[in-house]
Amino acid sequence: MRIKDIINFLKQPKIFVFALIWMMILIFLGTLAQKDMGLYAAQKRYFSAWITWFWFLPMPGGRFTLIVILINLSFFFFNKSIWKIKKLGIVILHLGGILLFVGGGLTAMFSSEGNMVIEEGAQTNYVEDYHFMELAIINTSASSFDEFTIFDQALLKRNQILKHTNLNFEIEILNYLENCEPTRRTSPAGILHKGLLKNFMLNELKSEKEDNWNRPGMIYKISNSGTNADGMYGIFLGQSVSQTISVNDKDYTIILRRKRTHLPFSIELLDFKKILHPGTDIPKSYSSDINLIENGAVRKILIEMNEPLRHKGYTFFQSSFIEGPDSETTVLAVVKNYGRLFPYISSIIMCIGLLFHLSQKLPDLFRKTRDKSVS
Amino acid sequence: MKVYSLILSFILLLGGILLPRDFDSRDIPIHENGRIKPLDTFVRNQLLTIYGKRSIKPKALPDDLNSKGLSATDWFFDIALNLEEGDKYKVFNISNPEVVASLGLYWDPGHLYNRKEVLTGLKTQLDYISTVQGKPENELTQFDIHLLKVYSNVIQYQALSYSLSCLLPLIQINDKNIAKSLSVNPGDKLSYYQLLRKANLLSPLMERLLKQNKDELSESDHELQHIMGILNEIDQDKFARILKIIPPESGNQNEEWQSPWELMESRMIGPNQKKLLITLESFLRYRIDNNTKKSTSVLAEYENILSHSFSGLFDLTNIKRETWTNKANLFYKSIALYILAFLLLIISWMTKPKLLRRISFACLLGGLAFHFYGILLRIIIMQRPPVSTLYESIIFVSLIGVICASLLEYNRKDGIGIFMGAIIGAALHFVGLGYANDGDTLGMLVAVLNSNFWLATHVTTITIGYGTSLFAGVLGHVYLLQTIRNPFDKKYLKTVNANVFGATLFALFFTLFGTILGGIWADQSWGRFWGWDPKENGALLIVMWQIMMLHLRITGLVKPLGFALGMILNNIVVILAWFGVNLLGVGLHSYGFATGIAVNISLFIAFELFTGLGTYYWAKNRQKQLTAN
Repeated sequence: MRIKDIINFLKQPKIFVFALIWMMILIFLGTLAQKDMGLYAAQKRYFSAWITWFWFLPMPGGRFTLIVILINLSFFFFNKSIWKIKKLGIVILHLGGILLFVGGGLTAMFSSEGNMVIEEGAQTNYVEDYHFMELAIINTSASSFDEFTIFDQALLKRNQILKHTNLNFEIEILNYLENCEPTRRTSPAGILHKGLLKNFMLNELKSEKEDNWNRPGMIYKISNSGTNADGMYGIFLGQSVSQTISVNDKDYTIILRRKRTHLPFSIELLDFKKILHPGTDIPKSYSSDINLIENGAVRKILIEMNEPLRHKGYTFFQSSFIEGPDSETTVLAVVKNYGRLFPYISSIIMCIGLLFHLSQKLPDLFRKTRDKSVS
Repeated sequence: MKVYSLILSFILLLGGILLPRDFDSRDIPIHENGRIKPLDTFVRNQLLTIYGKRSIKPKALPDDLNSKGLSATDWFFDIALNLEEGDKYKVFNISNPEVVASLGLYWDPGHLYNRKEVLTGLKTQLDYISTVQGKPENELTQFDIHLLKVYSNVIQYQALSYSLSCLLPLIQINDKNIAKSLSVNPGDKLSYYQLLRKANLLSPLMERLLKQNKDELSESDHELQHIMGILNEIDQDKFARILKIIPPESGNQNEEWQSPWELMESRMIGPNQKKLLITLESFLRYRIDNNTKKSTSVLAEYENILSHSFSGLFDLTNIKRETWTNKANLFYKSIALYILAFLLLIISWMTKPKLLRRISFACLLGGLAFHFYGILLRIIIMQRPPVSTLYESIIFVSLIGVICASLLEYNRKDGIGIFMGAIIGAALHFVGLGYANDGDTLGMLVAVLNSNFWLATHVTTITIGYGTSLFAGVLGHVYLLQTIRNPFDKKYLKTVNANVFGATLFALFFTLFGTILGGIWADQSWGRFWGWDPKENGALLIVMWQIMMLHLRITGLVKPLGFALGMILNNIVVILAWFGVNLLGVGLHSYGFATGIAVNISLFIAFELFTGLGTYYWAKNRQKQLTAN
């Protein structure tokens, strides 16, 4: 009896309608907010949040609202009245809707995306994340190989202590800055300031609208090395001279960089082409001539606008380019998405459902009662 | 009967385009903004920028010339061939009184001035103009903007008028000796380009001239000096290089076309380009002499060279087609018919309802035929679906609205469809005309849009979605109005309500799949199905609003009146998604520009809110009275 009550409660279409209205409000506000805070921040605050704060008031965020809609939608099928031939179109339609939600959920949770930046003539086998950083500590002492120790973005926050058996020292993060700028020191450096910090300071800046315009930076302390490498250091994204320290005959290079995901194959850029409509600045097409190199086998492929390369679950899109003085650099967007096929399948299902329903309903809805014109 | 007459008129229409027509000077292909178009389109748009209209109206002509106006192409040849006579046209449209005063011009109620007047005025302002040009755009006053516009218009005019001067017979050879060495008759007039081709014949004379003592110059030497002086003078015109009518010798699509002056300067003229230039030269000569017969035959040769030596670059039939479209003004015709249909419908409410309603419906369908045909021609000319710019989407949405309305009328036969179709068709056409005045409405597309498959599927579907949604909204208006007019006729209202519901379902079909297809396109090109881009969100909001209204209606939370109101408000959502996104200035879809849109959108929203809510409460009151009685 109780379960039935719960089901009856959950399947109410009222829940759907109100959740839908709330979602529309969120989308409207989130779209307007993009003008001020940029897409990434607006997305985090309104669309992919569980809770959205309006001043001090916690309200359901986009993700929460969508889950409510999904649950309500699932319980729709407990309606006995819908299981009729006449309602078949409606049932199919809602089934397709659920699939769309499931696909969206999979994408939101498991997809990853990033950039692959390759100069003409060079090759790359990793993808750089758009948003996440990592701290790489590279032991360069051995002559034949380098030993990498990587700390993920999740660990890069204030007061975090980073330790690993690979390292014979400890790193304590004193401050992590989302966006910063190195400026010359105005006051003399203290005795503990090492490396970059001897001559520079890191100034915290307001976050940019576009997340990838930010230059994250970090102030950290090295301790327990038992050498004079102990001290305070600074580091930021895109630093031209990397910090190196040596502890007990071992040399380490420390780099803050975009999180890398290594691929089981590499890509070599042969040629990047940009064609304009003649006599204008309107681009007609962009394309990259590449070599896909896997286990020594080389395959030549052309990646163009609207013509991506799909390989081993990864998809490579022509996204952007950098024009250099003598060579060009291509920027490929790389996406791995397990939910990719859901929209395709669900839209076909929904299309069938809606067409089925329309074909049953429309003749009725558009027929004028003939007796009216007679009278 | 009606059907037959429709088919007949359509065949006549098609005839205009299918019948072969001789190549004429309007069809000379020219390359501008990345597209190959007829000279006619090019000069029309030039004239539009300078003068504000696409052809010369009698007002701009000198008073003594009792003419009905002039086409853009004729105007162009007139100012290009008779360099000094161009001043007779008052084509500079200066509507800002401050600018008029600062240029020292008298105030003309038509705001029209000729080149000489404007040029004299501008010369006094050159210092000011150069300081203004250095300023950033947001610091400019209205006066500055208008003055700069006049300045750039004058430059554009000059560039047009001198663009062919290297091909005009401007240099008269009187001296026998020089004529002999050039192998022409004394008294002949040569063009700059002709002399350039004969430069090697002149060089011995030149060498002698340079060696000669200044006091011993012969008559021939004096004339030679004079000729050199004229050549130098004509050489000053080489800035006039906007007329890019000569295709690249290589026939390569991605190479730039060149103007006669550019070729003169680079001296790299290929054999086929040379043939074209020489043919053009003789065409201009015959045109100056008013020798129509010869100039037509020379043009035929011009066409021949184009189609044989540069065949891979363009399709001449298409170019002719575009010239025809420019002249046909199909959309003006469809507006006229829509308005006529509306007027006839109103009269039919007073007298002869059956007959007039039928004629009115025929007018609507006639307007639809012109409308459809205009869009069809754009598809053929551009070889792509007709929905790639804001202008095109307006015209297309209007078409969809009228089609829906015609179907409704066909079903109901009571004038509602005509009423809606005429309003949607005419109103959106007028909005579209505003956009058309920005210049060439057939633009090239950036790389990501350059995909006919996705334009045809996603963009077309979502645009049909806009059209059907607006249709459902207008039907909502009709329902409320009918309720006010006659709340007693329950049966009749029920059918209209069913129509609103059906139109909503129909609209949802297109908006939903348009949006999903957009996601799939994004997945194909950028690797993500959904990116919360403003335009995507806008489309999603339309879909959600419609789903919401349907569920509110099904669950009985709103009654027919509320449903009609909901669909009226849906119009606001549609307009915000369609135009409003461009105001945000962020995201991937910010094509088309936004000046002036904000005010119009606000007016539209205010109008829909006011009429929607107003009629809703009125209709509700009427129903209450009904039940009270």
